[in-house]
Amino acid sequence: MINSDIIRGHLESVILKLIIEQDRYGYEIASCISERTEAKFIIKEATLYSIVSRLDKKELIESYIGEKTHGKKRRYYKITTLGKAYYYEKKQEWLELREILNTLLEA
Amino acid sequence: MKKIDNFIKHTFKGLPKEKREETIKSVTETLVEKVEDLVDSGLTEIEAIDKTVLEFGNAEDYFELIEKKQKKERRLKSLRHYRNDLLFSSVSATIIIGALIFINLVYADVVIWFVVPALAVLFWPLAVLYNLLNKRANRRNADE
Repeated sequence: MINSDIIRGHLESVILKLIIEQDRYGYEIASCISERTEAKFIIKEATLYSIVSRLDKKELIESYIGEKTHGKKRRYYKITTLGKAYYYEKKQEWLELREILNTLLEA
Repeated sequence: MKKIDNFIKHTFKGLPKEKREETIKSVTETLVEKVEDLVDSGLTEIEAIDKTVLEFGNAEDYFELIEKKQKKERRLKSLRHYRNDLLFSSVSATIIIGALIFINLVYADVVIWFVVPALAVLFWPLAVLYNLLNKRANRRNADE
């Protein structure tokens, strides 16, 4: 399993990306992450919720109570315009970083 | 679900009161969602609760991101502390050297030996001063 310190700085962008795709609730985000990485990276719930509540505070995402099947209530998170802008900025940053590391490490 | 409530309450009991209720409420909500999902996927409720509690991590994980910075700042000694250290060491050194001179002159005024221990004692405030100047230079560099 990958060292979580390295990925930590990018978790915000990862979560924003998942919420941009569609509105999601907390556990869905966590399971989505482990599913897509084939369990190579598993986010701790504690970490996830602290990031989500911070994003909420910064108004990058909004939450609302939605209904899942069988009428169970779920708190869904929805991206805001500000959040989208922030995500694209972060993504650009990541692309640049990847470019740089590629040149330096692969050469 | 009682178990989840207790677990969360226990995990966050160290929080300041204003923040505690809100955090407990929102985290409990999300964990209950997870338990319900796991039950839907075929686990028994007890298994689901255990899994949820296990995978949560601990309160440190929750606050690591938020408070790491603040803690670090708090731990840093401020310049004022170093200035106080310097004051304390100079006053103490002066007292010790004064006592040495006094003993030297009263009991054995043929040999002036107090200079040697006095030199040694002088290095104390000097070291503290050196430290203070270093810290000040560091701080200035960091500010720029």
